[in-house]
Amino acid sequence: MSKFRPGLVHTPVTPFKRDHSIDWDAYAKVLEFHIKHGAEALALPMPEGEDMSLTDPELRQVLEFAMQQVKGRVPVIAHVSDAGTSIAMERAVHAEKLGAAAIVSHPPYFWHPKPAMIVEHLVRIAGAVKLPFFVFNPPIESVGATLTSAMVLEMVERVPNLAGIVDAGLEFVFMEEIMGNTRSKRPDFQLLAGQDYPVSAFALGGSGVFSPLSAVAPNLARDVYRLCKDSKFMEAREKQENIAELHHLLKEAGESGLKDGLAGIKTAMATMGRECGVPRPPVRPLGEVERGRIGEALQAMPFLRAEPRGW
Amino acid sequence: MGTPAFKLKGVMQAPVTPMKDDFSFDGDGFAKMVDFHVRHGAPAIAWPHHKAESLNLTIAERKLGAEIAVKTVNKRVPVSIFAGTLSEEDSLDIARHAQKIGADMILAISPYCRRPSQEEIFDSVVRIGTHTDLPILTYNSPWRNGEGVEFTHDLTRRLIDRLPNYIGMKDASFHAQKYLEISRVALKLRPGFSIIMGVEHLLASYPLGACGSFSSSGAIAPNLCNKFFGALEAKDWETARDCQFRISRLWHLFKEQYPSSLKGAMVMMGRNVGPTRSPLPTATEERKKFLRQQLEELNVLQTEPHGW
Repeated sequence: MSKFRPGLVHTPVTPFKRDHSIDWDAYAKVLEFHIKHGAEALALPMPEGEDMSLTDPELRQVLEFAMQQVKGRVPVIAHVSDAGTSIAMERAVHAEKLGAAAIVSHPPYFWHPKPAMIVEHLVRIAGAVKLPFFVFNPPIESVGATLTSAMVLEMVERVPNLAGIVDAGLEFVFMEEIMGNTRSKRPDFQLLAGQDYPVSAFALGGSGVFSPLSAVAPNLARDVYRLCKDSKFMEAREKQENIAELHHLLKEAGESGLKDGLAGIKTAMATMGRECGVPRPPVRPLGEVERGRIGEALQAMPFLRAEPRGW
Repeated sequence: MGTPAFKLKGVMQAPVTPMKDDFSFDGDGFAKMVDFHVRHGAPAIAWPHHKAESLNLTIAERKLGAEIAVKTVNKRVPVSIFAGTLSEEDSLDIARHAQKIGADMILAISPYCRRPSQEEIFDSVVRIGTHTDLPILTYNSPWRNGEGVEFTHDLTRRLIDRLPNYIGMKDASFHAQKYLEISRVALKLRPGFSIIMGVEHLLASYPLGACGSFSSSGAIAPNLCNKFFGALEAKDWETARDCQFRISRLWHLFKEQYPSSLKGAMVMMGRNVGPTRSPLPTATEERKKFLRQQLEELNVLQTEPHGW
C-alpha cells in the first residue's frame, strides 16, 4: 500500500474577482502563503475551495494552475467529488496525468444514496487510478450521505489503493470503529481529521489533518498538529480550544444551511490582510454589519496576534 | 451551595435495574448490583440512566431505588440521581427526594420527548436547579440534525452564570466539535466543571478535559474500564487505545435495544439481573450464546468478575 502519508494538509480557498471569475493572481498568492506557512501537502479544491461552484473545466484549470505554481514543493491531493460517478472518475484520471500525489472524494450526497450506491461510487473512482485514494466523510450537517464505519470497512476490503479516510464527521464512535477494526488488518490505514479538530483523531491513532483554518491561523494549525504528532494530547487542549472558538465564529457566520462557513472564512482572510473576494453565488457574502462583527470578534481573540497578516 | 466536597473522575458506574421474573423491581438484586460496582472500583454511582430503564420505572420505584442506592453505597463514593422524566413536575419531585435522602447530586435534562428549544431547556434546568441545594449535572443529548436536547456553548455559559450549583455535564454528543463547544467555555468559566462522557468514548475526549464517563461496559468489564482510565491518567496512549477499541466493540454489541443485551450478558456472567421491561425485548438464549462467544473472543469472559 501507499507510502504517502500526508500530515498537515492545507485546503486553500479559491479567490474570485468581482465578476465571479477565478482570480488567478490571488490564487497564486494563496498557494504561496500556504507553502510558506507550514503546509506539508495541499488538497484542492476542497469544500472551502468552493469545488461545487466550479465548472468541470475550471476544476481542471485549478489543479493545473496549482501544480505549476507549487512545482513539487509539497504534494498536491486532488479533490474530484461529483454527483456523477463517471464525471468524478474522469477528473481523477486527469489529476493522475497531471502528477497529483493522491485523490480524495466524498460520497455523492446529492442523490440521498443507499449505502451500496455510495460504496460503488467510491470504489469506481478509486479504481480509475493507481494513485492513493482517500475517502472524505462529510460533516454531519450534510444530510443524506454520511459514511458508516461498515461502509468504510467494506471499502478497505475491496479497494487496494484506499489509503485512508479524511473524517469531517468528527464522531467518536465512527473513528473508534474504523481504527479499532483496521489496525490488525490494515495497520497502514490512515485517519485524518477532516476539519481542524485533530486531537481526538490522533488520540485514536490518526496521523493527519485537513486544515481549512490554516488560511486564517496557520501557526495555530501547525502548533496543534505538531503536539498531536508528538502524542502531546493534553498539551494540545488549549490550542484546540482556540481553534474551536475560531471555527465556531466562522461556521456560524452567513446564511448557509450547511453551515459551510464559506462567507466567514473569506471575511476572516480579508481581516487578516489576505483579500480573496467573496464566495460565488448562490452562497451569499456577509453584509457590512456581520463583517464588522467578525472583525471585532477576531480582534478579541488574543491567540490571533501571533498569526501572519497579509501575504 | 458552593463547590462540592467530592471530585468526579474515572469510569463511574451506572447500575442496571434488576427485575424479578415477573418484571417487578428487584430491590435486593439492586442493592447487590450497587455493591458490586463499588467493590469493583466504581469512583461514583449514577442511577437510573437509560441503561437502568429509567423511563420504564414508576416515580415510586425510582424513589425506592434512589434510597437503596444511597443506603448501600453508604458514602463510600458519591451518588448521582437522574431526575430526567417525561414530566417536569416529576423531575422536581425526584430532585426534592434525592436531596432529602442524602444523595450527592442530581443529573437533569429538560423533558426530552418535546424537542425543547434552547430557552425551554434553560428554563427547565434553572427550575430544577433552583429547586434543590444539591449540585446539578445536565445531560447533553443532541441527535444528528439538531433534534434532541442540545446544550450549546451559549446555553452552557448562561447556566453556569445562573446556577452556582451547576457542576458538570454528561455529554452524549460523542462529537469533537460539539464536545468542544461546551468544554472550551465551561472549563474556563468554572474550573473543575466535570464533563462526563455518556459512555466510554474517553480516548477522544479525555485529552480535551473530560474527567470520566458514566459507564456502559462496566456492568460486564469493570477491570477493563479501570485499566483504561489508569492508562489515560498515565498518558499511556498505546494501552489506552487497546482498551478503547475493546470497549468500543463491547458498546457495538450492547447498543442495540439497550440494555437488553447488556442484561443478558450479565445474567450469563452470573449476575441475575432478570429480564428487560417491555417494549424492550429480553435477551434470548440464542443471543446470550452469541454474546458469550463474543466476550470470549474479546478476552472479557476470562478476565472479568463472574457472580456478585
